[in-house]
Amino acid sequence: MSKHDLLLDYFNGQLSEEERKAFEEHLTECADCREELRELEELTEDLPFSSEPVAPPEGMKERVLSNITGTAGASDAKDNPEPSDNTITLGKESQQPEPKRKKMSWYKPLMAAVLTLSLAGNGAALIYMSNNETTEPAPPQETPPEETPPEETPEETEQPTLDIVQQIHELQPSEGVDAQATATMIEQSENTNLVVQASDLPPLEGEETYQVWVLEDGTPFRAGTFVTNEQGVGAVSYLMEYEGEHQFDTLAITREPNAHSEVPQGDILLSAPL
Amino acid sequence: MRVKDVDLFQRVQSQDEDALEQLYDRYEKLLFSFSFKMTNNKFLAEEAVQDVFTKIWSKQRNFDEGKGKFSSWLLTVTRNTCIDLLRKKKDTPYELEERDSLNETEPTPEEELEWKERGEEVRMAVGELSQEQQEIIELFYFKGMSQSSIAEKQDIPLGTVKGRLRLSLKHLKGILKEKKERGVRDDV
Ligand SMILES: [Zn+2]
Repeated sequence: MSKHDLLLDYFNGQLSEEERKAFEEHLTECADCREELRELEELTEDLPFSSEPVAPPEGMKERVLSNITGTAGASDAKDNPEPSDNTITLGKESQQPEPKRKKMSWYKPLMAAVLTLSLAGNGAALIYMSNNETTEPAPPQETPPEETPPEETPEETEQPTLDIVQQIHELQPSEGVDAQATATMIEQSENTNLVVQASDLPPLEGEETYQVWVLEDGTPFRAGTFVTNEQGVGAVSYLMEYEGEHQFDTLAITREPNAHSEVPQGDILLSAPL
Repeated sequence: MRVKDVDLFQRVQSQDEDALEQLYDRYEKLLFSFSFKMTNNKFLAEEAVQDVFTKIWSKQRNFDEGKGKFSSWLLTVTRNTCIDLLRKKKDTPYELEERDSLNETEPTPEEELEWKERGEEVRMAVGELSQEQQEIIELFYFKGMSQSSIAEKQDIPLGTVKGRLRLSLKHLKGILKEKKERGVRDDV
């Protein structure tokens, strides 16, 4: 394949970092490719407008804005070799200043608070799985969770919030399991948020997920689904809202064939009494 | 008077929260809908929008006025962000959203009018393309697939992908242009 043939893959960000650099180099020398790229941009410019209007999820604006102005950083963008966003951007991008930390003027949503607590402000965007459930492969662990107790989170001291950390539980691994997890319950207004962080979990396959459960007298209730990253680290924040009154006695993590198990199908890997 | 996008953009880059909110309001729905079209997942779509505005706020992306319209640039950044997210998330088991389960929306702010009209036009024009042409545009532009994956999927030689795509896009542009000209005549 000649260099000219990489145009489409360049446009779609399908090249490796090295190939991308080489192609951008090529672009400076090859007028044909420059012209083709320009044409491709022009020919595709109408396409985004063909998207059917879809209503953004409730609360999205508050989440996005408060993440940006409050806790988000430039942290996760350095490692993505992305296709250039504007024809040929050969010049060095300007340095990336940390977004300034200041009092947030937006309404601070529950999720932002939990994020601050659970992921210590590394700005990772959470993936919202269903209603009140969030899940994500945790970013490469730089600071073990134990080292960032919630009461030391700067965001928390800067402004009054209604969060009260109720309990922190260390989960115990079952026999033959070599993994760690902590569960933190945070009370906010009327609700309890359960934040579970785990590490050293074995890799998942296919559609498998890790599932958090709370048990009441042997009856399981779903309490968050997550997947792990390459390092076996995962986290989930779950708003505990169940019909009726409950006295949960156990918290457990199992490995499930997919994200939809209504009762545990896998063995309990980690658990803690509540 | 309406503040220009570029001016808002520059203020956002100097960490102006009001400008951020204004720019966000202007583009939230278009970017979300486009991201949803790209990812078919509203959680990923939200993450994409979050990423796009984060990149602007933290000056990881720069818009150069000499290179065309701000909205086109913003949509390109959004598309690249979606492609990137899709690549990172491709092994994780997120539930795909049913399009129908998402509520169609209520009032139409002025920003959306142009989009609605233009969108209607583009969708109709796409509808006039052959099945194969529609597919190659979908695979390339909205799925962000590599040249080799497209060749495989369409069962055509690798070397013909670019030509076919180009032909399809040109055909589409031609239909759109014709519609526009006819539209102008009809208005007279
Ligand atoms: Zn070339």
